[in-house]
Amino acid sequence: MTTAALTAGLERIPDQLGYLVISSEDGVLASAGELENDEHTAGVMMQMVRTASRFRLSGSPDVPFKRLSVILDDFVYTVTVSGHKVFVVKRQHNQQEPVNV
Amino acid sequence: MGCCYSSEDKPTEEEEEPLIQPNNIVSKSPNGTERNPPNVPTARTDEQALLTSILTKTAQNIIDVSAADQPMMEPHEYMDRARQYSTKLAVLGSSLPPKKALTLPSLTSQPHQVLSSDLVPYSDVQQGFFRLPCTFLFK
Repeated sequence: MTTAALTAGLERIPDQLGYLVISSEDGVLASAGELENDEHTAGVMMQMVRTASRFRLSGSPDVPFKRLSVILDDFVYTVTVSGHKVFVVKRQHNQQEPVNV
Repeated sequence: MGCCYSSEDKPTEEEEEPLIQPNNIVSKSPNGTERNPPNVPTARTDEQALLTSILTKTAQNIIDVSAADQPMMEPHEYMDRARQYSTKLAVLGSSLPPKKALTLPSLTSQPHQVLSSDLVPYSDVQQGFFRLPCTFLFK
C-alpha cells in the first residue's frame, strides 16, 4: 500500500488534529498536523504499543485489543497496528458530558 | 700488441695449456665430495633420478582443480544428504534461543475504521477508573 493510500483515510477522521504512520524498521513513514515530524511522540507511542501488544488474556495467543487510547485532558491519542505499521491519530477530546434533553 | 708485460718470446707449455680441460667434468655428489673420476652414464642416471624426484614431489604438492575428477552423485544420494542436513538444522534450530520478535502483531486490517470509530465515552472515563493525569484504555 502506498503512503498516500495509508494516509488518505486518516485525513478524513473526524476531529483529528494530526497523525503518524510508523514502521518498526523504517521509522516515521508519514506525519501531519500537530504530529508532523514529531519523532519523539512516534518513539513513545511505538514503545507503548509494543508493551501493550505483549498483553494476553489467559489461554489466548491473540492480542486482546484493536485500539489503544491514551486519554489526556484535551486530546486523545488513538493507536492501532495494521500490516506491520503503527497508526497514531491525535483527536480532539470533548470532556463535556452530553446534555440530556 | 699484447697485454701488459707480454713478451715476444714463445709461449711456454704452461701458457698454452687451456684453463678448462675438455674431459675434466667435475661432478660433485650431494654431500659435497668430489667424485673421482666421473662416469657419464652414471651422471645422467643420477640427473634423471633427480628430475624424476622433483617431478614427483611437484605432482604431489600441486592441486590441479581443472583436472579434478568430480564424483557424480546419484539422485537418492542428493536426497539422503539433503534430509541429513535438514535434520541437523532442525536439531540446532530448536536448541537455539528464540529470536526476539521485532515485528508487532497486526491488530486490525481496517486501521482507518478502528481509529475513526467513537472515542471512549466521557462517562466511562469518569466512572470506574482512577482519575489519573493520563488514562490508558484498551478496546
